[in-house]
Amino acid sequence: MLTIFENVSLSYGQNRPVLSAVDFALPSGGFYFLTGSSGAGKSSLLRLIYGAEKPSAGRVFLFGHDLSYIARAELAGLRRQIGVVFQDFRLIPHLTALENAALPLRLANADETYVQKHTRELLQWVGVGERMNALPAELSGGEQQRVAIARAVVNKPKLLLADEPTGNVDDETAIKLLHLFNELHKLGTAVIVATHQQDMVERFRKPSLHLRTGRLTPTAVRAA
Amino acid sequence: MPLPRHILAPAFCRRQLGLSYAFMIGIMVYFATFAIAAEAVLSMTSFTWDKNMQSQVTIEIPAMDDEASTSQADRVTQILTALHALPGVGKATVMPDEETARLLKPWIGQPELLKELPVPTLIEVERKGHLPVTDIQKALKNIASDVRIEDHAAWIGGLAGLADGLSALAWLIIVLSGVTLVLAVGLLCRTIMATEHEAIALLHVMGADDGDIARHFQFHARHKALPAAFTGFGLAIVSAVPFLFLLRHFMDLFVMQAAHWLMLGVLILLAPLAAIGIAALTARFSALRLLREMP
Repeated sequence: MLTIFENVSLSYGQNRPVLSAVDFALPSGGFYFLTGSSGAGKSSLLRLIYGAEKPSAGRVFLFGHDLSYIARAELAGLRRQIGVVFQDFRLIPHLTALENAALPLRLANADETYVQKHTRELLQWVGVGERMNALPAELSGGEQQRVAIARAVVNKPKLLLADEPTGNVDDETAIKLLHLFNELHKLGTAVIVATHQQDMVERFRKPSLHLRTGRLTPTAVRAA
Repeated sequence: MPLPRHILAPAFCRRQLGLSYAFMIGIMVYFATFAIAAEAVLSMTSFTWDKNMQSQVTIEIPAMDDEASTSQADRVTQILTALHALPGVGKATVMPDEETARLLKPWIGQPELLKELPVPTLIEVERKGHLPVTDIQKALKNIASDVRIEDHAAWIGGLAGLADGLSALAWLIIVLSGVTLVLAVGLLCRTIMATEHEAIALLHVMGADDGDIARHFQFHARHKALPAAFTGFGLAIVSAVPFLFLLRHFMDLFVMQAAHWLMLGVLILLAPLAAIGIAALTARFSALRLLREMP
């Protein structure tokens, strides 16, 4: 199994729970959409998957590991098998596109020749080969998004998580990005894309999970 | 260090944080260098005083009138015989006239006047073990009741006490400098962790170990501390010159051999090196502690 949520709830302090009794299991190697309106809990669910949050109740499993009881060093190792694309890109402003995209490989202690060669090729592939020495502030929103995607997939992760990746780009770019994810999926990476854009989900006809005010709807995992 | 070295560099420069940090290191090293030097000189001097002078006694034999039945020379011989007969006396030697004249010169000025004045004869006595001054007084009572015995242990004891007090003060300055440095570096790390929270959280998401990130804090803390520490050290050396010039008349008090000066040089060099080491290690451990609080 890719990930299993067992009756997971998440709340911050005394506030209303962000997620309540979420229960699902996703098989490995799939492409899934996580849908729901803004504030439904999609980002929180993704954060639980990559271990940035611990559930208030229930258990989260990733690649067979219970994230509540995993050692810190082991969690770091697990995170190196995940790529995350954020809605706001989160590129480090004083690093060039090339340096930003190469970070996961450097963290994995990859050989520098390989880092340079592979990252350059990948940036070419996502369409920002001409801008690889530019700083994020010098790139357009679409270019920044592509660099963020390159960074997320540069170390060939087992799982790619994308949080509203199409939120800050026009429809045409959004479709191109989802095609890009589909290509990565074909190369063997499991993909979970959180989006509130239902039209995109319908266009790509992939299984989806739908959240409504922190709960999965009864038709939780809908087949394409 | 797999991550690019400049990944956290701007954080150490933002809002002149790095400049304040460098100033703080320089000032700490400046004071610590002075304190270490003072402590080392006082310890070595105090030790020499203890070792060389605590055992010494000076006997002052007033000059005789010309009409006196016994000559000054006879009295000195009798006193030396009595002193050598005492079991606790190691050595007793008459201070040469030239030496007495040298000691009196600052007060008398003209050497020819000394010949006309009734200058006392001085005998330097080296004691073995703890021979009390009263025993010497008893032994000399019948030969010369007017002699004055100066026990150096009394005034050396007071001076050594003062040296010990100053030494303790120097240690306090060294310890306080170290503690301030640790607290300031801890605060610096906390500030950087707050301003760079998003970038550090991102590194965590990408699978960075706490150790990888902490190594960057250590690197920048050391890198910035190095020139600052040696600048503080250099300024301390430069500022010591006028002090040494002012103290040049008292340098005889600081009886130090060449080996002591060499040791002093090595010890004061510890101030910048220790500051750099403490800053780097504190940065590493502070960062590790703060990183463990993050998911």
